Amino acid sequence: MVSIARKNLLEDLPRFLVAQAGIMFAVGLVAIQTGILNGFTRSTVRLIEDSEADLWVASEKIVHFELTEPLLTSQLEEAEQIPGVAVAEALLLGVGRWQTPQGQPDPLKIVGFDPQGQLFQPGYISEGTVNSLLQPYQVMVDRTRLTSLQAEGIGVNGTVNQLPARIAAITEDSQSIPASAFVFTSLDNANTYLTSSLSTKVNCQLQENDNLRCTKVYENSGAAAEVNPGTAPAILPLSQTDAITYILVKAQPQQDLTALKQKLEAALNETRVLTTAELSQITRQFWQTKTGVGWILGLGAAVGVVVGMVVVTQILYASVSDHLKEFGTLKAMGASNGLLYRIVMEQALWMAVLGYVPGMLLCVSISVFAAGQGIVILITPLTAAAALGLVVVMCLGSGALAIGKVIRLDPASVFKA
Amino acid sequence: MLIQQLSPQRNRNRTKAIAARDVRMVYQSRAERHQVLKGIDLEIPRGACHVLMGPSGSGKTTLVSILAGLLTPTAGQVFLLDREITQLSPRELTRFRREHLGFVFQGFNLFPALSAAENVEVAFNVKGIRGKAAVAGAQSLLDLVGLGDRRHYRPCDLSGGQKQRVAIARALVGEPEIIIADEPTAALDAQNGQAISQLLHHLAKEQGCTVLLVTHDPRLLKYADTVHYLEDGQIQPQDSSRARFYLNSVA
Ligand SMILES: Nc1ncnc2c1ncn2[C@@H]1O[C@H](COP(=O)(O)OP(=O)(O)O)[C@@H](O)[C@H]1O
Ligand SMILES: [Mg+2]
Repeated sequence: MVSIARKNLLEDLPRFLVAQAGIMFAVGLVAIQTGILNGFTRSTVRLIEDSEADLWVASEKIVHFELTEPLLTSQLEEAEQIPGVAVAEALLLGVGRWQTPQGQPDPLKIVGFDPQGQLFQPGYISEGTVNSLLQPYQVMVDRTRLTSLQAEGIGVNGTVNQLPARIAAITEDSQSIPASAFVFTSLDNANTYLTSSLSTKVNCQLQENDNLRCTKVYENSGAAAEVNPGTAPAILPLSQTDAITYILVKAQPQQDLTALKQKLEAALNETRVLTTAELSQITRQFWQTKTGVGWILGLGAAVGVVVGMVVVTQILYASVSDHLKEFGTLKAMGASNGLLYRIVMEQALWMAVLGYVPGMLLCVSISVFAAGQGIVILITPLTAAAALGLVVVMCLGSGALAIGKVIRLDPASVFKA
Repeated sequence: MLIQQLSPQRNRNRTKAIAARDVRMVYQSRAERHQVLKGIDLEIPRGACHVLMGPSGSGKTTLVSILAGLLTPTAGQVFLLDREITQLSPRELTRFRREHLGFVFQGFNLFPALSAAENVEVAFNVKGIRGKAAVAGAQSLLDLVGLGDRRHYRPCDLSGGQKQRVAIARALVGEPEIIIADEPTAALDAQNGQAISQLLHHLAKEQGCTVLLVTHDPRLLKYADTVHYLEDGQIQPQDSSRARFYLNSVA
C-alpha cells in the first residue's frame, strides 16, 4: 500500500509541526503530572518500602504510616519471643519543632530507629555515618530539607523540642514530600526529644454532680534550651514503659506471613499487623485520595489530553478536508470505507507516534533536570506505556471524528471542478 | 505486453456498454425544484470513443455521475455492461465501479503528496493489487501514456497535460471496460486538450474499452466515434437544429 497517510501528513510541514507540538503538550502534561503524582506518593512510602521488614506491628487504630497510636516498648520483647520472628526492631515516630539560634521554627517529624539494626533504612546516607546517631543529641536530616531547616549542612547545631540537636549526617531519598522534615536519630535520642520536654500533672475539676474529673495533662516544661550538648540534660533511654510507634518484624525464612501476622496480632494486645506492602498501600491511598492531590494532578493531565485531542482533531480534520477531492476520487474508484478508515487512522497513528517519542524524551529530560532541583517527577515504564496508550487513543479518537467527513462524502462530488 | 494484458476481446459479445432508460433528475433545494434531466434515453455500444456534448449547465456532469453509479437518479434505469446498476446496493455499486470503471476528471484529482507512479499505484492498491505488482503495473501504464521517465515527479512538477496523462494511466488500472472522462481537457490549453483527447481515442481503439468523453468543446468532435448532444434536459437528435446551431456557433 502506498502510504498516502504518511505523505499527506508530511506534505504541509508547518501544520504537521503544530500537530506534533500539540501532541507533545498532551504527552508532557500527562507524563509530568502523573510523574509528579508518582513521585509524591512514592515519597510518602519510601521509608516503608525501603525497609527490610516483612511485617509492621502497629496500633489497631492505625490510619496510615504517619497517623497512628503508640505501642508499648515492652511489646517489642513479646514480639521477639514469638516463633517465626527472626528479628524485631522498634521504630518511634513523633512530632517536634526545629529551631536554630537565629532562624524560624520549623515543624519536624522525629524518627527514632536503631542505628545498629537491620530492618529500618533511613534513605541513602551521603554524609556522616549512621553510627554517629548513637551519640547523644545527634541527628540526621534529608538533604532536600536543609533549606527549610535553615541549616547549611553537616555540623549545624539547633534545637529539637528545645533540646540540643546537631546534624551529624545527611541522607537522601528519604523524605516524604507532604510531611514535615524527618529528623532521624537513635531510639534513645528520639525518646528524649519526645518525652523530656514534657512534664505531666494531674488536672482535676469538680463536676456539677460532685464527681471529681481528673485528666492527665502533658505540658511543655518550658525549660530553657541549652544548645550545648555538654550541658544538656541526660538522655532518657527507651524503657519498657515508654511508647514506640512500630515494631518492624523480619520473619524467619520460609515463614508463612499470613500465619505469622495472625500469631502476632493474637499475642500483642491492641495491635494490627500489616505487611510492608499493605502499609505502603494504605499510606499511598491516604495521600492520593484524602489530600485530593491525585484529583488535582489528574485534572492537569486531563486538560493535556483535551487540548491534545482538540489540536489533533483540528489538524486531522484540516488535512482530510484538504484532500477531500482525492478521497472522493478513491471512493469513485471503488475504495471501500474500510480503506478510507485505514488511511485516516494510519495518519492519526503516525501523529501519535511522532508526537509521543519527542514528547516523552522531553519529559524524561525535564524529570532529570527537576531531580537536580529536588523535585521528584517519577516517570515509570508503566506511566510511559500508559501515556503512549492514551495518546494513541486520543489520536484514533480524533481520526474517528475526522473520518466522518470522508465517509459522508458524496462520491459524485469528484466531478465538481 | 500491456496490450495483450488488456485483452480487447473480453466480453465483446455483449453489445451495450451503457444504457439509460427515462432517467430523470431533480435537484430539490429549499426554495426551488430544478429538473435537470427530463427523461434521458441513451444507448452506448461497447468500444470506441463516445462524446457527450452540451452547453455548460445542461446537466452533462449530472448525467455521467448517474451513468457511473456515483449519483442516484430521481427516476429511471441505468444499465452498465447489461447490469442494472440502479438496483445495486451502495456496497455492490462500489464494487462494480472498482471492477469495471475508470475515471478522468477535469481537475485531475491527483494526490499532491504522491509521485506520479504512487498516484497510479494507489489505484492498484484500491483494486487489491499491492507491492511489486502495483509498482510494475504503474510503470507500464505510465510508459503507455508516455510518462515513464516522469514517474518520480510530483503533480506540482508536471504540466497540466502531463497531470492528465497520469490521471488517464490511473483510470486504466485494472483494465476497466468503461472509462468516464468529464471535461478532461477543460483545464488544458488547446494543444494539450487535443493531445489528451487523441490519447483517449487511441486507448479506446487499442485497448477496446468504451470511453465516454464529456466536453463542451466542439473542436474535440473529431475524436468522437459517436456524439450525443444534451440540452434542455434531453438528448437531442444529432441532426436537430439545436445541435447543429450549437456545434456551428462554437466551432
Ligand atoms: N448538487 C446540486 N444541487 C443542485 N443543483 C445542482 C447540483 N449539481 C448541479 N446542479 C445544477 O444542475 C444543472 C446542471 O449541472 P451540471 O450537471 O454540472 O451541468 P454541466 O456539467 O453540463 O455544466 C446546473 O444548473 C446546476 O446548477
Ligand atoms: Mg460539468
